[in-house]
Amino acid sequence: MTEANPAFVPLPPPDAEVKTTCCEYCPVACGYKVYLWPAGISGGRKAEENALGIDFPGPALSGKWPSQNMHTVIERNGIQTNVIIIPDGDSAVVNVGGTHSVRGGALAQKLYRQTGPTSDRYLTPMLKVRGQHLPISWEMAIDLMAELSHHVIDSYGELAWGMKIYSYQFYENVFAASKLALGEIGTPNYSPHHAPAEGDDVPGLSDVGIDAFGTAFADDKEADVLFIAGSDPYETKTVRFTTWQQAGGAKIIYVDPRKTFTAAYAENHGGLHLQLMPGTDTALYSAIAREIIANGWEDTEFVRDHIASRAELDQEGKWRRVQFGRSFDEFSRYLFSEDDFTLEGAERATGVPAAKIRMAAEMMTGAGGERPKTMLLFEKGVYWSHNYENTAAIGSLGALLGATGRPGRGTGRMGGHQRGGQKAAGYPLDKSPHSFEGHPIEMDTERWLVEGNTRFRWVVGTNWLGAMGATQALRKRVADLTSMGPEVDSTDPATVLRQLKERIDAGGLVIAHQEIYPNESTPSADIILAAGAWGEDTYARNNAERRLRIYDKIMDPPGDAIPDWKIFSMVAQRMGFAGFDWKDTNEIFEEASPKSAGGRRDFAALVEKAKAEGVRGHDLLATYGTQGLQTPLSLENGELIETVRLHEDLQFKTDSGKANFVFADWDAVKERNDILGPTSGEVWVINGRINALWNNLFDHARRQISKERWPMNFLEVHPDDAAAWGVESGDLLSIESDNVLDQLGNKTTGSFTAAAYVSDIVPPGVTFTYFLYPGSPSNAVTSADTSLQPLSLRYNFKLGKGKVTKIGTTDLKETMSFAPRNLAPAGPEG
Amino acid sequence: MFLGGATGAVVAMGVLVPIGLASRETASGGQTAAIVGFFPRLKVAGLSELEEGIPVLFDYPQVGQSSMLVKMGEPVIGGVGPDGDIVAFSRLCTHMGCAISEYQHEYKILGPCPCHYSTFDLVHGGMVTLGQATQDLPQLLLSVDDDAVYADGVFRLVYGFDNTLQGGELVGERV
Repeated sequence: MTEANPAFVPLPPPDAEVKTTCCEYCPVACGYKVYLWPAGISGGRKAEENALGIDFPGPALSGKWPSQNMHTVIERNGIQTNVIIIPDGDSAVVNVGGTHSVRGGALAQKLYRQTGPTSDRYLTPMLKVRGQHLPISWEMAIDLMAELSHHVIDSYGELAWGMKIYSYQFYENVFAASKLALGEIGTPNYSPHHAPAEGDDVPGLSDVGIDAFGTAFADDKEADVLFIAGSDPYETKTVRFTTWQQAGGAKIIYVDPRKTFTAAYAENHGGLHLQLMPGTDTALYSAIAREIIANGWEDTEFVRDHIASRAELDQEGKWRRVQFGRSFDEFSRYLFSEDDFTLEGAERATGVPAAKIRMAAEMMTGAGGERPKTMLLFEKGVYWSHNYENTAAIGSLGALLGATGRPGRGTGRMGGHQRGGQKAAGYPLDKSPHSFEGHPIEMDTERWLVEGNTRFRWVVGTNWLGAMGATQALRKRVADLTSMGPEVDSTDPATVLRQLKERIDAGGLVIAHQEIYPNESTPSADIILAAGAWGEDTYARNNAERRLRIYDKIMDPPGDAIPDWKIFSMVAQRMGFAGFDWKDTNEIFEEASPKSAGGRRDFAALVEKAKAEGVRGHDLLATYGTQGLQTPLSLENGELIETVRLHEDLQFKTDSGKANFVFADWDAVKERNDILGPTSGEVWVINGRINALWNNLFDHARRQISKERWPMNFLEVHPDDAAAWGVESGDLLSIESDNVLDQLGNKTTGSFTAAAYVSDIVPPGVTFTYFLYPGSPSNAVTSADTSLQPLSLRYNFKLGKGKVTKIGTTDLKETMSFAPRNLAPAGPEG
Repeated sequence: MFLGGATGAVVAMGVLVPIGLASRETASGGQTAAIVGFFPRLKVAGLSELEEGIPVLFDYPQVGQSSMLVKMGEPVIGGVGPDGDIVAFSRLCTHMGCAISEYQHEYKILGPCPCHYSTFDLVHGGMVTLGQATQDLPQLLLSVDDDAVYADGVFRLVYGFDNTLQGGELVGERV
């Protein structure tokens, strides 16, 4: 007999309060149930004695077992309260049967507790006084926001007033923010968390005419072949992979410079891994397209009936489509004019063996036999290396296969985060100071700021500095701009206002940062606005298959923190704007609904039905639970009609209704690769997400299971490179480049440190690191010169480079797991 | 590395549980409480019978709590025996409960799980190296007496159960 502490988790009793939510993180957005009941009480083990409704111990795959990380105790309305946040085991959509990722599975650990890892939430607004953030009142904070905003707009115009904000953090918050910034203030100085400018992330695909989020997860399961590029689904969209892609048995053609678990799985199960060198996607997709056309394997019926002719393209109202759109003949002529698009040429250009390129073309088309159902799915590995060309090339390949609008046949994004970007007003393109060949384009807000034109920036919910390219150069410039004029040395509201106005008038920059936790950008802020977030109010949001669901409120924001929408409302009203006096998020949701009409997120019919039935929009949505509704929605005889997939009528987002091919300029890509790629002594430093972490680690830096797995940032290094550099796993590395381009296109330097993780997951000459690990600014070695992508103003985040040097070692050699992470199970043939 | 929520060393039957192992229970297993239970003692294998890299399967501490003991060939966290290399873990995946049979001695990992491919590093206390499990694998407290290796306790919650020691039938007497 041994005496020790047995592990346990309390079970929710039958009368526990139940709420519905979805995961906070990846775009799959698994459905979850939240159980709340007083601490010190546990339900029984019989099904009728607990709210989960199963006997304990429960069987494998029950989807109803709360692990210890699914449970915590919070203070709620002054009462110590048990919380279990558990995947919805009854779900028939998304995470069928209660499966989940490690990210969402531990959502309970996200909740605020006065002690423990989440206790460093911002609890009050703060003001930087002599370099230190001090608590201030909301009254003072809102006054400062309103007064400074008026001063900047009145003295320097609305282009000097900027907002840098998440694009997805619930419809209600984005609507409220954009109503103020784009609607009332009308500034073009507004950009999302991930890019220097508003606008389309996948313009090449959009110019084909195909919606980026037109497919359904069911299509992944229905498909015979999944062509997945620049996105690692097992690692980053886990449940979509295990429940929909892998479970459907499709052969996977996986495109990635890294041989990840998904790559190994694909190869073990009759698929392919096309291990291209960074920056060569355009050549690869174009070579596959050329091989298809050379053999007559394209979907001739689709091309004949649904691809626009040159005459039709010339009638298009969108200049990009006229300029870059291509008919089938034009597209073919281009493909056959480039030596790098032959099988051998593409092997030289991309590093992918010619035989594999040929095999991909055969698998995707059936090589003249029965045509398989093929899906083409991609994400940031594609559009954050060469934005326009890569998305044009993969979109054109999809069009060539007729991969759209039909079960198991589609082309689109995998998604990076969930979809909550319902804006209240359009972007004021006519005010933007930037253009492309005479056509107005969105403002590059980072360039604008670095040039000294932005005098006030309101940052909302993002580690802004870390998330932009050439991050160290940007940080230095921001430090200069925020140190102009007098230092704030007082907590007297009038003095503070005078001093900050003096800075603005001296050409400097004032920053307000609305956040839940301190991050690497908040030290630059003059004003901190303490925000509430997921679970701290009721919100709505779509996932990557346009599934709209409710995210219930679980608890109040901690301390004096306030939900984002309410902060926007308070500032707007203090500035004198009408129409911001919402009582709750439902009022915003209902106000936003007509703005969604006609788009992929159209939920106007839901609110219309709710009003007809005399209920609130949020409440009607809540009745659909974790299943939600797939938008766009329509009403027929009082019933809501969902849309499983877009383009089912084979009508596309063009004036003619036909799709088209799009010119993907490989010569421009090659030129850019020469500028951005590694120079002598450097290797590629590509970056992305990792299974147990999410974005800037705002939650996962405070989550034990994630921090134990990844105690510091890592750099994957191939064993051959490791041997050449004298490096082994756990060594501390310097990664440095003196050839980074800053926001103005000037050459600068960048460096960061990380622990070596020696693995054949990367090929020689290519390293991989996490993209936003705190204390390890990997975007220091990615460039930020949008003149290289002047059409879409996206950074080439995936094309970092640097010289790798061992600068010491760490205790991680003993304590961190360096086990291989790409060991996939054998296929059916063993 | 293993700080946070540690309850300190636990003295059990004269066996001092290593602080690292004890605190791992809370470090990656969420909340714990000061409940003291009594684990059965189970002889798992004879020390001299163990072959490096060849797992021994058994249930512990309750029937159906399938576990695996293995001699790793190098000293590891929580390891016992003359070389400090004998460890045991639950082999019920802490993601959704599928039994993991694939021990890869070359890498000293258990997995990938046949259901959703979670993989656990047995050198590092059952850490999830890849995959979806929200807890590290429950690690067993072992001891060696003469030639016998005994299971004396388990850290972290075993899949399917709400309490490591309750809900089912113990594999041995709590004397």
